[in-house]
Amino acid sequence: MNTEPKIIGFLCNWCSYRGADGAGMARLKYPPNVKIIRVPCSGRISPELVLRTFREGADGVMVLGCHIGDCHYSTGNHRTAKRMPVLKKLLEYSGIEPQRLYVNWVSAAEGEKFANIIHEFTEQIRALPPFRETMESRTPIEIKPAEKEAVWTSA
Amino acid sequence: MDKRINELGKTIEKILPEVDGVIGLKSGPSGIVAPHLFAKERPEELAFLAVWPKEPVPDTLKIILRAHPDAKLAIVCRGCEERGIVEMFKHAQLKLDNVMLIGLQCEQSEAEFCRCAKPYTVHAKLTVGQPIQGVADPLTNKIAAMNLEERREFWKQEFEHCIKCYGCRNICPQCFCNVCALEDEKWVQTGRLPMPNPSMYHLIRAMHMTAKCVACRECEETCPAGIPMAVQFRLIARDVKEMFNYETGAVMDQKPPQLLVLEEGEYQRTGLPH
Repeated sequence: MNTEPKIIGFLCNWCSYRGADGAGMARLKYPPNVKIIRVPCSGRISPELVLRTFREGADGVMVLGCHIGDCHYSTGNHRTAKRMPVLKKLLEYSGIEPQRLYVNWVSAAEGEKFANIIHEFTEQIRALPPFRETMESRTPIEIKPAEKEAVWTSA
Repeated sequence: MDKRINELGKTIEKILPEVDGVIGLKSGPSGIVAPHLFAKERPEELAFLAVWPKEPVPDTLKIILRAHPDAKLAIVCRGCEERGIVEMFKHAQLKLDNVMLIGLQCEQSEAEFCRCAKPYTVHAKLTVGQPIQGVADPLTNKIAAMNLEERREFWKQEFEHCIKCYGCRNICPQCFCNVCALEDEKWVQTGRLPMPNPSMYHLIRAMHMTAKCVACRECEETCPAGIPMAVQFRLIARDVKEMFNYETGAVMDQKPPQLLVLEEGEYQRTGLPH
């Protein structure tokens, strides 16, 4: 039961990846659950990509980018800041824990912040059941709310 | 219903000489209602004018404007269809310079059928019928009140019925991309049933409807499995209003938030860390 959580971290090339590099260079310890994928910009992470990562079996997804205003492409991370909150809400409305998706900003100098974030997020995901398991669990509940029936028969 | 048809017929008759055509609904010989282009050369067709059931007329307008860019047209549109046309205009799908909007206000029974919050037109200069108040949406409120596990089960059981006919995407006035992510094998495994859980198809579509869905509910009506997918779009629309202060179809000059950079104070409302 107590399997290690699988976490995929999408890190922007210019800030967060350098920050992770810095954490490694400073010999900071952090949990090995996060598999890092380097991307040109956090704005490159489309919601489809996050959803597919979940579908492939990730328990948590991290999207780290430059601080707002520091983007290498000037407004790339504005897209992240607009998309990801909406995606979190959508996950919530679809019955997936929104805390499985984590968005934060890490600059190239913030190695320590990076290590802390990984600690924090891994603990957060460890507290949740594995993603696949939650999707397969089947506790029959009453569906077909009366409102829906009424709507479809009134036509 | 009849009263509005008479009034609408008179309005169309009045403006027919000024325009090349008026897009409205016409009931055919077998009683099937479909979008139709009324022209001044055939005024007798106005006898078959219809208003219900509603059809996706924004798409009809787009198709006609693509073929005849300089045509001067008028279109009979309800509140939702007007919003659809305005959003299409914002996304550069059609030009409204030569288009006259004739607003058709919905009746109480129609608004209740659609669970519509805004069954009235805003931009149309000519209107037919009396505007009424919007009605509450019981299903959306019910799902908003559920906890995570209940929602998960609800959507799982709903999406299990999906036969992937892509009807919701085809009928949507806001689904106009030339290359559709839903046909991409990378994201959605095409032709495979039942849907995996979580359903990539529906989540991606819901995400793409952010700040675009005009709550016309055509997708739900066309769905052969009766999946109430517009509920997700409506819940997200509430958040978009809160975060980005954007309502689809409300203001003609306001650009959709996904086309703009962050504005002052928007970041604080998204709930992301500082």
